[in-house]
Amino acid sequence: MLRAIRIFNRVCVETLLGLRASGWSNWLVVSILAIALTIFGCVLQVTMTLKNLVNAWGNQIQISAYLAEGADPKKVAHEISRFPEVKQVEIVTKDVAWNEMQHTFKVASIENPLPNTLHVKLSSPDQVEVLAPKLRLMSAIENVRYPLKVAKKINDVRHFLELAGLFVTTALSAATLVVIGNTIHLVIKARHKEIEILSLMGVGHLYIKCPFVFQGAVYGACAAIMASVVLVGLHLYIDPYVKDQLLSLAPALTQNLEYSMGQTAVLMAILGVVVGAGGSLWTSGRYIKI
Amino acid sequence: MIRLQNVCKNYGGTPALSNVNLHIGLGEFAFLVGPSGAGKSTLMRLLYREEVPTSGNVLISGVNLNRLSKGQIPLLRRRLGIIFQDFKLLNSQTVFNNVAYVLRALGVDEREVGKRVGSALAVVGLEHKRDSYPTELSGGEQQRVGIARAIVNGPPVLLADEPTGNLDPATSLEIVQLLERISQRGTTVLISTHDQPIVNAMRRRVIALKKGEVVADVDNGYYELEMA
Repeated sequence: MLRAIRIFNRVCVETLLGLRASGWSNWLVVSILAIALTIFGCVLQVTMTLKNLVNAWGNQIQISAYLAEGADPKKVAHEISRFPEVKQVEIVTKDVAWNEMQHTFKVASIENPLPNTLHVKLSSPDQVEVLAPKLRLMSAIENVRYPLKVAKKINDVRHFLELAGLFVTTALSAATLVVIGNTIHLVIKARHKEIEILSLMGVGHLYIKCPFVFQGAVYGACAAIMASVVLVGLHLYIDPYVKDQLLSLAPALTQNLEYSMGQTAVLMAILGVVVGAGGSLWTSGRYIKI
Repeated sequence: MIRLQNVCKNYGGTPALSNVNLHIGLGEFAFLVGPSGAGKSTLMRLLYREEVPTSGNVLISGVNLNRLSKGQIPLLRRRLGIIFQDFKLLNSQTVFNNVAYVLRALGVDEREVGKRVGSALAVVGLEHKRDSYPTELSGGEQQRVGIARAIVNGPPVLLADEPTGNLDPATSLEIVQLLERISQRGTTVLISTHDQPIVNAMRRRVIALKKGEVVADVDNGYYELEMA
């Protein structure tokens, strides 16, 4: 145990020596990685906020199910609420609907022609085309209506945002891997003598490669801190403007649509450390031949 | 201690070693001689598992190096001390730290490091230079630091690849005599060299290689140019 602690301590010392040996290139790598992470954080914030907005709009979509004559609205509503796609079922009896219609349109006094109606809210807007056919098959339901085009558009926008976010993150991570790989390669070249001595004198591969992996992880962590600071600054600066825009776009939406800064910072830190350590591991595996 | 059985090593079809059979016993002191390209360095690299033979077996202390996994190679190398022609010292580290470098990487306790490094430096006669840097030392002193680093872990086998290649004749003789003294303490020492005067001054076992084949293996031998 003590030996393991001493070895870990030496690995940390070697990591610091590696960082010292890298000089100004440390700042170069951290800056490039911080820029990539800041863009990633911004993209994440924007896509997640838009996704929340789209979801909130989507949650307004509901299916109207018109019941057959003689069907018990309460019984049918109970049956429908058991479907997993259903979030909420609201009963609008024919009398209520007729009263509202008379009040709004001043209709002549005739016999109530309206059916009992159920307004079905969905757990997710993309479930509309799954639930509607199920409702159509129910004998108690005469007809079903829902805004299909809106639902499709909303789903398309959501999928596009997810794909765009994934693409940008992948592209930035790949670019960062290359930058880190080059820096670690330079460090390996500068320290080739130490590596050769350690290898020929019987020091394990893990000990030899670990300092480089740690160095990459340190780059990732530092870049994530820098990116978080920049992102918090940007957030504070543009937050009031974004809130105004969201309210003007969707005044009916009352929930907070913004994606958490804390979650973004944690994701940036994870991505930074994974990309940093991963890039170093790949480079050390490629250039350190033991 | 060291045994080679029908060892062949080819590089892209060109033979570097052909059917080499060799046995060097515990505590033995031997020279591996031959001109450039004879296969000395290839044989040394096989012994510290930097290379694997194309065919045949290389055994150290009964362990067949062909069967070692990648993870077992460091364990083998801890039982070997390797000395290089170009010393391979870290110029940014003191003599003490150069010798202690590998011990620390292996997680040896700092008090134990001090003890072992002190003892290794005493063997090579460099205790008084422990705080000097390699650039402040002569070539012979630098090679002594290399020897101290090789013996600090108490290996049963010492492999020296052209250890006198960068040294003047007088210093070369001192270095080889130092290695002989280490051998007298029970360490098997194999020195690869093409330094004829040194080999002839020592009159120890001489294994001569020519075009990858053992052409002579003589106790108390000479290195005659016609061997090569």
